[in-house]
Amino acid sequence: MELQSANEDHSQPPKFALPVDSEHKATEFRLFSVAAPHMRAFHLSWVSFFACFVSTFAAPPLLPVIRDNLNLTATDIGNAGIASVSGAVFARFAMGTACDLFGPRLASASLILITAPAVYFTSIASSPISFLLVRFFSGFSLATFVSTQFWMSSMFSAPVVGTANGVAGGWGNLGGGATQLIMPLVFGLIRVIGAVKFTAWRIAFFIPALFQTLSAIAVLIFGQDLPDGNFRRLQKSGDKHKDKLSLILYHGITNYRGWILALTYGYCFGVELTMDNIIAEYFYDRFNLKLHTAGIIAASFGLANVVSRPAGGAISDLVSKRFGMRGRLWTLFVVQTLGGVFCILLGQVGSLGASIVLMIAFSLFCQAACGLTFGVVPFVSRRSLGVINGMTGGGGNVGAVITQLLFFRGSRYSKERGISLMGVMIICCTLPICLVYFPQWGGMFCGPSSTNTASEQDYYLSEWDSKEKEKGLHEPSLKFADNCTTERGKNVVTTARP
Amino acid sequence: MAAGGRLLASFLLLVSCFAQTSYGIVLFSSLQRTLVVTASHKQGVLKAGEDTITVTWGLNQSIPSGTDSGYKTIQFKLCYGPISQLDRAWRKTVDNLDKDRTCQFKMVAIANPHTSANQTFDWLIGLDVPTATYFVRAYAYDSEGISVAYGQNTDAQKTSNLIAIQGITGRHLSIYVSSMCFSAFSVLSLVGFFYLEKRRVRMSQQK
Repeated sequence: MELQSANEDHSQPPKFALPVDSEHKATEFRLFSVAAPHMRAFHLSWVSFFACFVSTFAAPPLLPVIRDNLNLTATDIGNAGIASVSGAVFARFAMGTACDLFGPRLASASLILITAPAVYFTSIASSPISFLLVRFFSGFSLATFVSTQFWMSSMFSAPVVGTANGVAGGWGNLGGGATQLIMPLVFGLIRVIGAVKFTAWRIAFFIPALFQTLSAIAVLIFGQDLPDGNFRRLQKSGDKHKDKLSLILYHGITNYRGWILALTYGYCFGVELTMDNIIAEYFYDRFNLKLHTAGIIAASFGLANVVSRPAGGAISDLVSKRFGMRGRLWTLFVVQTLGGVFCILLGQVGSLGASIVLMIAFSLFCQAACGLTFGVVPFVSRRSLGVINGMTGGGGNVGAVITQLLFFRGSRYSKERGISLMGVMIICCTLPICLVYFPQWGGMFCGPSSTNTASEQDYYLSEWDSKEKEKGLHEPSLKFADNCTTERGKNVVTTARP
Repeated sequence: MAAGGRLLASFLLLVSCFAQTSYGIVLFSSLQRTLVVTASHKQGVLKAGEDTITVTWGLNQSIPSGTDSGYKTIQFKLCYGPISQLDRAWRKTVDNLDKDRTCQFKMVAIANPHTSANQTFDWLIGLDVPTATYFVRAYAYDSEGISVAYGQNTDAQKTSNLIAIQGITGRHLSIYVSSMCFSAFSVLSLVGFFYLEKRRVRMSQQK
């Protein structure tokens, strides 16, 4: 009987366009390549994530028109802003789990296509409640952040994972800034064509909605979960073991580092989401600017993501070459605290020029901190990578919800006072990074554990019990442990495994 | 390029803001109420784009003559009533006229007004006027464009003769239909893809 092509695939090692490690993850990050599967996955993930950001924050720049059409009060607007980021709190956590189980490609494309109707229905919103509901459901799509980071962590190796995560996350977050430019522009164009204000903003929403739909379809057609193939096919052929949901959840939730990173991410990324929601209205109302002028200024906050978040990821990788994981943690702490300082100052100044400069400085540090956070996240867990990604990502949104609830709802605080208070909260909630400790690499104030048992293998294999090890299920974690000895830093000699 | 043009426009706007302040701040409380304005309209809630407001105005006869010699332009504006300003800081009443956001809709501007007798005009409510409660105010400007006097159809506390207007919804049948169709397409394409994937995996297993 003739053997079919399935066997032929196993006998020959697959060839990749980029250099790869033992897990077939790329060890180089080539931005301008679209080679399958690594760089293609990168481009698909950041573009689809960008589309979700554009949709979620499409309403804020048009709020001066929407608030009149739907007769919204400041409380209604605040509630809708909170709703837009609260849906993703749970969705990000669920997405992390879904990625572990089904793979990032299916998980993200499904979410994006299911939330696209919410964006289409924004165009027929008729009251404060319907507005809140569409913003709530549109916001679920921000969970694609988790699949983006998971996908990058699956495709790129330790030396470049920070950069890959940072660029994918940053260019996706760019959508929050780009939308402040795009929506007023589209609105203006539709007005020129002849529609009245209260109809033009509705038609404008079809643009982000269509973009979202098409990008999800592209992910489904052109994307691939792992360097070796898609989850389902690999699971059926036995190459990838289908893990148990309860164990994945257990090992993720019981890792305290995931909770600390969730909190601190709430005060870099959560703050970024809050700013995306309030900044256009802030400039429009406080400085009496035109709609699209306020949009341009507000856009520069999110647009800084094109360099700031990738820079954060790249700096994380750079620092880790010399100082290892300790360097990553220290840099994250310093950058995020500085972001808080600039935020406090932003709320204090009263002139337009100074506000713009401080806002840009704040955005650079805040977004770099996001990139730095995801230079640490891939190392917290191997088995429950998706759950940790989901917890951290979800924590980001929790930070946005809490901040908007406390400082930006109704008329209790003026927006400028709210911004300063937010800066104080950033500084306080960044302190817990001091508590993150890896036995094999150390923490901010302590070096690695001196006993001989502290090694990468011990850390990652502790997630599997002896029965699972007997079945060989821990093999991927073993490979990962060997590949991330670089996190010890430059001066530590890596001893070969006996 | 567009970006450069916008940057220049923003810069010029900034400069013009500074230029404005050098003329001095005009406070609403410093204006004299020399104009008498009344507004009449049909009963009930008025519809934007359909109904008209008839404004009758004139000079207050009790003020000394000659006061109005400096009035070069009279601008009529539709202003938000207090209830529509509640919890809406973007419609706030502030004494500094440059920062005041009470009156956001221009109705009619009358140049070189003759104030000897009462005059009337009709104004069709524009399609961009949102659902709210309003009153009518007239500002008199001198030749340099600085406000010198005003009049309004309501009392000082803005409680009487308020006009209720219902704005257009902006929703059309075509928008309803399009959003339904595109939403259905999104969900169906996902379902279709799952089905195709399952078939493909099943067929590759059979080989």
